[in-house]
Amino acid sequence: MIQGSWNYRTMQGAGLGFSLIPYLSRLYRGDRAALNASLGRHAGFFNANPYLSTVAISAVARMESEGAEPEEIERFKRALVSPLGSLGDRLVWARWRPLCSLTALLLFGLGAPWWVASGVFVVLYNTVPQWLRLWGLGRGWWNGREVGRVLMSSPLRRLPDRLTIPLAVIGGALLPPLALALGGTSSVSPILVIGAGLAFVVLGYWRPGFAGRLAALGLLVGSLVFVVLEKSPW
Amino acid sequence: MALLGGVLGLDTVSCVQAMISRPIVAAPIAGFLLGDPVAGISAGAVLELVSMNQLPIGANRTWDTAPASVAAAAIAALSSAGAVSLVVAVGYGVLVGWIGSWTVHVMRQSTARLVAARGDQEPIPASALTARHLSAMAVDFARATALTLVALLLGAPLASGLDLSGATAGIAAAVLVWVCVGLALGSGVRMMAKGRTVVLAFTAGLLVSTVLSLWLA
Repeated sequence: MIQGSWNYRTMQGAGLGFSLIPYLSRLYRGDRAALNASLGRHAGFFNANPYLSTVAISAVARMESEGAEPEEIERFKRALVSPLGSLGDRLVWARWRPLCSLTALLLFGLGAPWWVASGVFVVLYNTVPQWLRLWGLGRGWWNGREVGRVLMSSPLRRLPDRLTIPLAVIGGALLPPLALALGGTSSVSPILVIGAGLAFVVLGYWRPGFAGRLAALGLLVGSLVFVVLEKSPW
Repeated sequence: MALLGGVLGLDTVSCVQAMISRPIVAAPIAGFLLGDPVAGISAGAVLELVSMNQLPIGANRTWDTAPASVAAAAIAALSSAGAVSLVVAVGYGVLVGWIGSWTVHVMRQSTARLVAARGDQEPIPASALTARHLSAMAVDFARATALTLVALLLGAPLASGLDLSGATAGIAAAVLVWVCVGLALGSGVRMMAKGRTVVLAFTAGLLVSTVLSLWLA
């Protein structure tokens, strides 16, 4: 829930403060002023990949328990923003989620029931982020202010590169079954359908930004044309 | 259905992030509740591919996929015009997702006023911080629910009126879907990974899958 109050000013800051409430309430039991001051500091600016923000939560809790100076904790939090964001975003958003999406789409293309394709996506996807949350919680607590060094030497840094090949293989494998699934009743030769699809994949790969927008715009304009045709008196 | 959009909308950013808000999950669930999960997952599959290259990094504005998926699945499940229904459903989903990204933008600006109105580093009681954090989540839930409701109310006439069952319209729609799927797949793979190894791996997957698909078909 760290992103529950995500905003353009403090980003995950209020969420970080909110996540620390149970621990800090115990740490500063009987000293309401110290608790409020601590929460106020932690509800300032902070941002990270949401699944790896547990590293910061537990490391900050550890530093608070060791009586670290507020300025030191603030510098530590700011120093974590970039590595936690870069590592988590590359791993989860740029590799793992697309890999799980393509796997689920491949299953759908191969004729798996809808609940299998959707279920596999949910189960497969959540293995990595939920593990990251637990891993981050442990690493942050046990390593405290040294957690940055642990992150730098973590094998997690190499994982995104290792997922590149599976992502590309599944992407390629997806095209033929998807052609048969979406154009299953077509009388056109499957080779022709796959070949045509491949031509547009090449175009998409060549100009990714333009092709992505073109695909969305094509469907939007296409749907408009069909609706207008349907409603027109001619 | 609107509540489903609200609950799934919370999953996008605010709560859990188990990615049940992705079209490949949200659309078949909505389709199942409307009696046609296969239509739902067909629309969800295309929407998933088209939205795959949008990464929620930093302050990036990405489509709000939960209301978009519910709206797309509703049109796909309630109309019966084959490929034409699919194009209209996904096109409508793209529109709803895009409008949703703007509602998220406005909400994030108002959330900044809600949780960061006080001066930086000023002390704050736990109860006040909790109330602000949970209020922001409640606003996100209300936003996603309202957006889904409006999308369903406006989309219902589209779904019930679709009857373009002619061969030409069907072929045109199928070609359009296939072109967009190809573009989105190429774009998606390139946004995540690039280079000679990626091209070779993609080609290997394509060749093996083509042989197997044609052999099994």
